[in-house]
Amino acid sequence: MATQPIPPLSSHLPHLPGHALVLACGNTLRGDDGVGWRIGCAVEQRPPCDGLTVVLTQQLLPEHAEAISTADIVVFVDCSAVTAAGTVSTIDLRPAVSLPRILTHHLDPAALLRLALDLYSRTPARAVAVTVGGESFALTDQLSKAVRSAVPKALEAVRAALAAETLAPVTHASTHAS
Amino acid sequence: MAQTITIDPVTRLEGHGRITLKTNDQGEVSEAYFSVTQVRGFEKFCEGRPYYEMPALMARICGICPVSHLIASAKACEAIMSVEVPPTAAKLRRALNLAQTIQSHALSFFYLASPDLLLGMDADPAERNIFGVAKAHPELGRAGVGLRRFGQHMIELLGRKRIHPGWVVPGGVTQPLEQAKREEILALLPEAYANIKMALTAYKRIAGRFQDEVDSFANFPGPFMGMVSESGGLAFTDAGLRMIDAEGLVLVDNLEAAGFDDCIGEAVEPYSYMKFPYLKSLGYPRGAYRVGPLARLNIASHAGSPLADIEMNEFKKLANGPVLGSFHYHHARLIEILHGIEAIEQLFSDNSILDKHVRARAGVNRQEGAGIAEAPRGTLMHHYKVNDNGQITWANLVIATGQNNNAMNKGVLQTAQRFVKGDKLSAGMLNRVEAVIRTFDPCLSCSTHAYGEMPLAIELLAPDGTRLDLVQRP
Repeated sequence: MATQPIPPLSSHLPHLPGHALVLACGNTLRGDDGVGWRIGCAVEQRPPCDGLTVVLTQQLLPEHAEAISTADIVVFVDCSAVTAAGTVSTIDLRPAVSLPRILTHHLDPAALLRLALDLYSRTPARAVAVTVGGESFALTDQLSKAVRSAVPKALEAVRAALAAETLAPVTHASTHAS
Repeated sequence: MAQTITIDPVTRLEGHGRITLKTNDQGEVSEAYFSVTQVRGFEKFCEGRPYYEMPALMARICGICPVSHLIASAKACEAIMSVEVPPTAAKLRRALNLAQTIQSHALSFFYLASPDLLLGMDADPAERNIFGVAKAHPELGRAGVGLRRFGQHMIELLGRKRIHPGWVVPGGVTQPLEQAKREEILALLPEAYANIKMALTAYKRIAGRFQDEVDSFANFPGPFMGMVSESGGLAFTDAGLRMIDAEGLVLVDNLEAAGFDDCIGEAVEPYSYMKFPYLKSLGYPRGAYRVGPLARLNIASHAGSPLADIEMNEFKKLANGPVLGSFHYHHARLIEILHGIEAIEQLFSDNSILDKHVRARAGVNRQEGAGIAEAPRGTLMHHYKVNDNGQITWANLVIATGQNNNAMNKGVLQTAQRFVKGDKLSAGMLNRVEAVIRTFDPCLSCSTHAYGEMPLAIELLAPDGTRLDLVQRP
């Protein structure tokens, strides 16, 4: 699907204490929206550490709560329609306090963490979102130039998130930017 | 004062729609309409495509029940090819369809309906969702997640993709089953059994609290249609259709795909793009009928698997004849999940499931073909015509949700007349009007083959058509 090769991560992480999960989200047929999926594929092909599971999905679903609850660290990778095109952001996440009233096709990472906590009484010690700002969501399997250029930085951000020291256990606080 | 109430959108459905209620001068609901305002497109834009592309194209109609579209479409293509599918391919497709039914029913029951059932119709809307269920009944939330995972994982194992697997093709399936996958699927069954048994126990414990809803949620006499095996058991993939009336008398039997159009007509109403199928011999609207889990359980004499047979016997004691209350769709869905798990175990325990002959090949040998499968929401029919080159010249799809269209409209009116009083909707009233539609688990994107989202509202109209109230959800 991806017409441009995505570079591998710069180096293999020596060790991760526990199970890591990368939840890569996106639609590769909707332009920049597919960047999360593509980054997930790159991570899966050349995992930066052992004990890593990559889940590729077009959207976040309630059943992802189960996989999240078994991980020690989870990294959500997605395109952002809010930040400037090509901007790579790393956001620390905590389980949401307020939740959407309607749940059918939209679920955000913080709500999913809350669901994992309520259903399985456990969330990862660290949860991070790595996002890449998108600019074109038209029907195409191509990334825009700005987003394509940002992919190496986003991959490094995923690696950095996986390598970071584990945070203190998550309590009931809302999502915040790091 | 007479009014119009609009609910927009109706929530926790697959797709979007609008409900309009009209009240008379006494403030009583006198008319109700469930509108689906999406435009159909698939039947038209597939014209000119080669027939063998149809299963893959038609599966894109829906992300919840693509397997049913794949199977009905492949069967229509096989009628054009005049081929018989190898027995093992037929078994594998049956298993795939059951896996889809399990995951779809789990979505409907646990994610969409259980907030009403477990937390109450009048519970705070902010809590009445899957998150509220997770907090109050985490064990049932986990059971729902587990059953969804089971069905989807099985689809992925067989078809290589959870959604829109390309494994089902005209003539059979592309690849035989591998022993390792068979073992993996069999190993998943104990957890699936435990989850559905827990859900059935929980449902039967709370069902008695909903007598008002049982009485008023599309509870009316009318025909039912569904697939039934030669022995009268539940069937989802390879059998004929039967239609019964409200007393259980058989109106039509052994209806095959090729005769579907002769028997079933499609009416239209000005307020919705979703059609209103009906039995031609009874005319419209008298011949409108219900399909789906409730219909299938009413039509079949037994499930055909030991545990589901016990549950079905108990279910049939709910009425002296066919169970007419549509609230019981929820219960029927759970019994079908149990039967699905048992049927998968039966299919995969037989060594013939590993046979390597899984695809028949042929070209165009007829210029017309139709195929039928039971989708989670009911009977699904695909009908195509092709030219000598095998290009589609005409297509028609009769979708399960459409076949419940008349019943959903009746149910909205019945429920509104029971619960909506005065000129303002309370959250509980509003939710019940929505919940009657949820019992059918409609898939509006399927039924209109639309692209994108479409909102749905409840509006309150005065006798002169003036809109007096409009309820729209974010």
